[in-house]
Amino acid sequence: MNTENTKAQMRKGILEYCILAVLSRNSCYAVDIINELKKAEVIVVEGTLYPLLTRQKNAGLLSYRWEESPQGPPRKYYELTEVGKIYLNELDKSWEVLVESVNQIRDKK
Amino acid sequence: MHSIKFNLYICITILVCINRYLIKKTMKVTVNINLGGYAFNVDEDAYDHLRQYMKSLEKEFSGESSAAEIMADIEGRIAELFKSRLTGYKQVITMKDVEEIMAILGAPEVISGSGTSDEPPPRSQRRIYRDPDGRIIGGVCAGLGAYFNWDPLIWRVIFVALVLAGGFGIALYLILWIIVPEARTTAQKLEMRGNPVTVENIKDSVKQEFETVKKNMNL
Repeated sequence: MNTENTKAQMRKGILEYCILAVLSRNSCYAVDIINELKKAEVIVVEGTLYPLLTRQKNAGLLSYRWEESPQGPPRKYYELTEVGKIYLNELDKSWEVLVESVNQIRDKK
Repeated sequence: MHSIKFNLYICITILVCINRYLIKKTMKVTVNINLGGYAFNVDEDAYDHLRQYMKSLEKEFSGESSAAEIMADIEGRIAELFKSRLTGYKQVITMKDVEEIMAILGAPEVISGSGTSDEPPPRSQRRIYRDPDGRIIGGVCAGLGAYFNWDPLIWRVIFVALVLAGGFGIALYLILWIIVPEARTTAQKLEMRGNPVTVENIKDSVKQEFETVKKNMNL
């Protein structure tokens, strides 16, 4: 067991939730999401995001539209669908429960 | 099926090596590529590196139902990153650019998450081949040596001893010569030594072979 491994597993678990949370505020292009996740240190490399976005889109949680870019090819702007909003709501609740549970265990004297 | 692919790959790699040697790094050949609908001029070495990276990414996503879409997204992002690195004075994508982009996007194992799990690395399959590079007669002893990781000399001594003891050694050697296939491709040579057949290993092995040829020819 090494800590890096465990940390990576933890991050992986909450990454999907974090993506939806970022998109709940406004529609974003992949690099906007990456920048935010990088700042919060939940993501290490950009490449991790692309398969997740595609998976969430295929699951009906996200939709996207193409937008012209000042530099390079057009960009995909993702946003939450109605299903995605309900899904995020569920995750919000379960996250709170989780934090509560962990704190309860940690703080038990 | 595999061997044709590997053969082709090795041929191309050797040609590129020779080409590079002849040019002696005074001038670099560039390759024109299409990435996400944009044309880029890429240094040849940088192109090799990038192509290998894209290939391993593709392999990483091969289990995914929408692998093509993910690859297209990544390609678009690479095109965007390349564009931001080009100016009026810098018109060619170099090795440095490709390496920077790979650092931003991440190594394939890191992307898929398999690099951070406890899964063991792919098991290497060991198979008996005759080794044409270390052969004295048919490469049987050299191949057995590579397979068992012994000095081939030990096998040669055993065979000579068998021959002297009653002639059985000659028949055995001939039979092995016939039934054991020769390791022709780099992939087979890696299998013979028990190294996993990966793109990286093949590249290293081809490079090594090229260096040996170069030395032998006193280039």
